[in-house]
Amino acid sequence: MKARFGITALVAALLFFAGYAALFIAPEESTMHEIQRVFYFHVALWSAMYTALTIAFVANIAWLATRQPRWDWLGVSAVEVGVVSCTGGLITGVLWGKPAWGIWWTWDARLTTAFLLWLLYIAYLLLRGLLEDPQRRATLSAVFGIFAFLDAPLVYASNRLWRTQHPAPVVFGGDNSGLDPVMGKVLMVCIFALLTVMILLLVDRYRLERMRHEVDELRLAVESGAARPNSAVTKGAI
Amino acid sequence: MTHFHFLFAAWMAVWAVFFVYEISVASRVARLREEIERLKQQVREG
Amino acid sequence: MTTARAAAILLAKELRLEFRTRELLTATVVFAVVVVVLFSFAFDPTAAESRRYGPGLLWIAFLFAGSLMLHPSFGREQANQTLDALRMAPISPFAIVLGKMLANLLFLSVAEAILVPVFAVLYNISLAGIVGRLAIVLVLGTLGVVVTGTVFSAISAHARMRELLLPLLLLPILAPLLIAAVEATASLFSERPALDRAWLAFLGGFDIVFLTASWLLSDFLLEE
Repeated sequence: MKARFGITALVAALLFFAGYAALFIAPEESTMHEIQRVFYFHVALWSAMYTALTIAFVANIAWLATRQPRWDWLGVSAVEVGVVSCTGGLITGVLWGKPAWGIWWTWDARLTTAFLLWLLYIAYLLLRGLLEDPQRRATLSAVFGIFAFLDAPLVYASNRLWRTQHPAPVVFGGDNSGLDPVMGKVLMVCIFALLTVMILLLVDRYRLERMRHEVDELRLAVESGAARPNSAVTKGAI
Repeated sequence: MTHFHFLFAAWMAVWAVFFVYEISVASRVARLREEIERLKQQVREG
Repeated sequence: MTTARAAAILLAKELRLEFRTRELLTATVVFAVVVVVLFSFAFDPTAAESRRYGPGLLWIAFLFAGSLMLHPSFGREQANQTLDALRMAPISPFAIVLGKMLANLLFLSVAEAILVPVFAVLYNISLAGIVGRLAIVLVLGTLGVVVTGTVFSAISAHARMRELLLPLLLLPILAPLLIAAVEATASLFSERPALDRAWLAFLGGFDIVFLTASWLLSDFLLEE
């Protein structure tokens, strides 16, 4: 318990520091001024999301290959955390877009991919909710998860190809072209900080899933224990 | 500071998103911990 | 028995089953026509607008009709648990999935073959000289819909709310296919009709990726 509290405090402190760096240490950007600082959180959230979804993909394959429950637990946990990160990414994106470019949203390749991934993995979570048998739920959602992950680069490619044929405002294109070294360092700090937050959430969610499994096992043990004729008689219940 | 409220809202959103999720997971973990203890008790008695 | 032969036999079974009543095919065609007609009430397009929005409307009508039509693919195996019988046969699980994919491809293609002329008439789009090339685009696009749709039909057949679940799973996955198919169709409907190689290659790539994934994962789709 003590260790856990310490780690949480450390991660929170890291997040605070990242925020401080983004808001005060990073130099001001010439065209967008202050609002550009959202970029640090925005990019960090996307990298947290992609990391989480890649972990989920690996977990899905591992479940189908080995049938060890921990891969199923990791899979659903990683997807949930990925969806949470994606939500943050979409919110910060909208909050950046409006003041910086005057538009709430645009259908460029990266944004569209992110939005579609959000929808796909919410569908994954819905699917899990609607499948009752645990074995089947794990297997079928793993198959869907693999399909969803394979779809992501196709979504990006199709939007990229589409946008080169129908050019739209290139809103996020020039971010990393010649990034100021201090900005680069602040970005690394933010990415690292959000990655640790994501991993912390992932570990907790995994623990929750493992405990759910433990509850089911215990419930089974209780039921089979109660079914034994001895127990009730010895207790004098009958 | 131009557009300060957007920047602030974005920073708050980052915290809120992770905080709300963590609270939801942590509370479910706590509830399950109690349930597990209760069931372990039952198995010991049964 | 080879996978190809088994799939062919299962395809024949699916066709026989469907042509007994033709209810699925009829319902699919009628629904797609209704969607197209409703769009025309909502938009009342001019000639230029027809050419611009037509391809999108056409493919959305196909996607909606398809996602409804694909559900019974594995859905109707549930009633009498006929899937268990298929599993026990000495054929690979992919043969079962492939047989259903081919059947769905045929059904959806027939629906499209009926729908496209209707659409051309309602929206005043000339099909002269582009029928062959349009057919290529339709086949490649429909293949993608049917490959992913059949897999998701197998997945959602075990879930609650399966009729709603299938479109919910399918339509986001098909977003890139929708873009590619619409763009390819649009270049055929334009002033100077041309077959857009880039988009055709993309459609082909989409089909290959998901067909391969289906082949690798069909064992897991059909297990107990």
